[in-house]
Amino acid sequence: MNGERTYRLLLRAYPESFREAYEREMLLAFRAHARASGRLGARGWMELLWDVARSAPGLRADAWRARWDAHLHLRGTTMKAFAISTVVIGALELLGGFAEGWAGGIGRHDGVSLAAGALAIVAGAALIVAGVALLRHARHAGVRAAVPAAICLGAFVIAALATPRMSIASTLLGIVFPLAVLLVLTTGRARGTPVGA
Amino acid sequence: MPKRQERDRVPEDELPLTPATFQILLALADGERHGYAIMREVRERGEGSVRLGPGTLYGSLKRLLESGLVEESDERADPELDDERRRYYRITSHGLAVARAEARRLDTLVRAARARKLIGVRPA
Repeated sequence: MNGERTYRLLLRAYPESFREAYEREMLLAFRAHARASGRLGARGWMELLWDVARSAPGLRADAWRARWDAHLHLRGTTMKAFAISTVVIGALELLGGFAEGWAGGIGRHDGVSLAAGALAIVAGAALIVAGVALLRHARHAGVRAAVPAAICLGAFVIAALATPRMSIASTLLGIVFPLAVLLVLTTGRARGTPVGA
Repeated sequence: MPKRQERDRVPEDELPLTPATFQILLALADGERHGYAIMREVRERGEGSVRLGPGTLYGSLKRLLESGLVEESDERADPELDDERRRYYRITSHGLAVARAEARRLDTLVRAARARKLIGVRPA
């Protein structure tokens, strides 16, 4: 049946886990609907298209969130150690920022050092927020961790450009660590974990 | 996130329901049905003006199953349609409580609309 083949193609808009659970039922409903209507016609197809366009994005978003949460949950122990390191490094950056701001900015009246210290404080605080989000396994923890990690990265890049005398160790820590957080979160999204619908 | 215990769940916490969700709970309120029977019931109740496509229906059913408002009963053929086996769904006691709470909420709104003469009055 041509109509059914077309509808089967439309169903590819839905996530795989959803199709595994409901594709057969949806095809049965389509078949019964087509039989009851006699012929679907342009209006019937438009309604089906609208139905797919309206429902598929939400289900894709659900599947994506479930995959992300499952990934964070599955790698619980590793993720916990990683989250604790994120908080500790964030705290170190925060303290480093205070020290830089205090010694350079207030002690030597150096505006650049003061700005670099302030940026390091922002970066450290953002990294702590990212670590806490990962530790709490909060709903949508991935997004809650990714945003502050990106803020931390941005703040540290600006700080490194503003103060070329920043130590290699602190530059690496401030830039490489948030990059690692983003990488861990992105890998989780790309690799994915099968989710039962 | 762990599911909350049945006894801790307050129906009002789930409100407001989407129109599709309420239509499905309404269709299941007087007995179990399979997916196409729910679609047909919704279309007949709305006298053709409300249509529930398969995507919206099964997407909503998936969420209703996950939140424990609906459960699957069994799989069997519907003698009225064909000999294909179909999954049947039934409303849970919590689903019924949520549907009642939503009906009360809508009733309050309709009474407010009537009091302001938005409905139930013939146009002059």
